[in-house]
Amino acid sequence: MTATQSTPPPLEDDPTSPVPHLPGAPTTLNLARAFVGVALAGIGGGIPAHTRRAMLRRGWLTDLQFAETFTLAQLTPGPNGVNLAAMIGARLGGKRGALASTVGVLTPGLIAMTAVTVLLLGLPGGLPPALQSALRGAACAALAVILTMVGPIVRVGWSVTAGRLPIGAAVTVLTFVALGVLRLDLLPVLAVLVGVGLVAHRPSKGSHGDT
Amino acid sequence: MATPDLLLDIFLTFVRLGLTGFGGTNLAEMERLLVGQRGWIDARTFANGFALGQLMPGPNLLAVTHYGLVIAGGWGAFAATVGFYGPTAVLSAAAALLWKRHSAHPWSLTFRNALLPFGGGVMLAGVLVLGQTSIHSWAAAALVAVSFLILSKTRLNSALVVVGVAVVGALIGL
Repeated sequence: MTATQSTPPPLEDDPTSPVPHLPGAPTTLNLARAFVGVALAGIGGGIPAHTRRAMLRRGWLTDLQFAETFTLAQLTPGPNGVNLAAMIGARLGGKRGALASTVGVLTPGLIAMTAVTVLLLGLPGGLPPALQSALRGAACAALAVILTMVGPIVRVGWSVTAGRLPIGAAVTVLTFVALGVLRLDLLPVLAVLVGVGLVAHRPSKGSHGDT
Repeated sequence: MATPDLLLDIFLTFVRLGLTGFGGTNLAEMERLLVGQRGWIDARTFANGFALGQLMPGPNLLAVTHYGLVIAGGWGAFAATVGFYGPTAVLSAAAALLWKRHSAHPWSLTFRNALLPFGGGVMLAGVLVLGQTSIHSWAAAALVAVSFLILSKTRLNSALVVVGVAVVGALIGL
């Protein structure tokens, strides 16, 4: 059995638990509307936190169901907030629910970003110096926003061990060096390091029954 | 003007970027491709777009829409956005439905354990790259440190912090 400390709780999905169990299971339109609201609340980030609040408040998901979907959203490639919306939408409303939730969470930002970019690009002579300075400041704060997220994510991966081997820490460091310092191409790095993880954590026949 | 070839290239590049970001987004790879390899945008545009993305409602990687628009106008923005978010959303929805059936399978835990540390390394690499682009002075480093302290010690909305620091940046002529 692989020992994994302080990772999120195991994703046990009780197949008997009814999913859209509470009164007022969402329609496609309701899902889209809820995720537009999540997007508007999430200016500056924190989409997962806003999603959780929206789902619990409406009684569409329990805390456990949210936690398990959130962990899964972190494991699929790509932007977490949008993946989370797609997953919850699929869970609550099938394919159409997934589409509605994804479009909902993206729409407000798309409109705002397009408008702002068109305005900025239309400025004669490029960006005024004050605006350049402001954006540099915003970039510093944005970096800080990411830093607040890095700690928990790195800690979870770091603590993954295979038997006694600190393989999580090793893979974290090697990934950082390969992508950040050496600037290697991602796909080969992914193939090698995730491959190592798969081999190290492969289920042993004895402890897991047939596979 | 944007040719169909360019739009297809933009679309496929962003599909790749979307599908290869784990545990968040792979900023290092995004910078390597867009700024280095393709030369579509410069490092300053990269950092600007990222900062703008933090100010927008919704997911904070709407920077991809900004990049698409800068590279090739409206259709470029469309190609970049749909490419970046579309395939991963489809994959996530499929995974959510699959996981409900197979979460007890031993290989599910294996995949999780293999991916989590990789995701952590990817995040750290992204921080390094973005730091190299954004921090060119002691003032900038101080702004990062102060923002980080405010964000971790208070419950203030991060957008407020970003806007506040942007104002400070403009005032001190960062």
